Amino acid sequence: MFERFTKTARETVVRAQAEARTLRDPRIGTEHLLLALLDDRASTAYRVLSGLGLRAEDVRDAVRRGEAGLVRQRDAEALRSIGIDVDAVLARLTETFGEDAVRAVLREQGTPRRSPSRHIPFSQAARDAMGSAVREAIRLGDKHIDDGHILAGVLSSGGAARGLVQAQGVSAEQVRTALERAWRKSA
Amino acid sequence: MGLRAAVALGRLADTLEALNVARARTEGWSWEQIAEALGVSRQAVHKKYAGRLPMTNPKET
Repeated sequence: MFERFTKTARETVVRAQAEARTLRDPRIGTEHLLLALLDDRASTAYRVLSGLGLRAEDVRDAVRRGEAGLVRQRDAEALRSIGIDVDAVLARLTETFGEDAVRAVLREQGTPRRSPSRHIPFSQAARDAMGSAVREAIRLGDKHIDDGHILAGVLSSGGAARGLVQAQGVSAEQVRTALERAWRKSA
Repeated sequence: MGLRAAVALGRLADTLEALNVARARTEGWSWEQIAEALGVSRQAVHKKYAGRLPMTNPKET
């Protein structure tokens, strides 16, 4: 798949893994892809996002604080389907044990003991995002998949990145519109 | 779908357990006492938690 990626896009994926590793996350999620996209100031994605007022430092802070998904979104949905309100449970746990303790446990939980050089797998949402990126490039008739397509894929998938962007007051639709404009300009 | 819920519930239970074990330790519980409360062996609890997070018993430091 990565043969059809531009150099920038490939570097984005590599940086996303580095982000996940730095943050000690067991999976490369859409939030790490988002951070990686914001790292390259020459990229379409960076220009679009910063043009809409998104600040990389704010997103990084949010990811570090664990807002990226205290409980994985799919977990929350699955639990809701059997009548468990995860938000309510987390609120009670936070009340009882404090925010730091809860975050520390959630962050650390499910992190398998692995050597630092081991390859970190993608989360399902991140895999969906990459798939969407490829389909986006095909839809637009582009020969290569670039960081703009990755951004589109990231925001249309079910991962944490969408919420992180929205928390900065930017909607996925705004990003979409700005991306379309950028694509038309370079077409 | 039900399997996913089962796995998620298990993870939530693990979270609850880890938080409570950490607190028990700071309140001076021994691994034996925690193991008894959890219904598992001391070895099992120690193996699962001793290396993780701040799980220190102030009486033992």
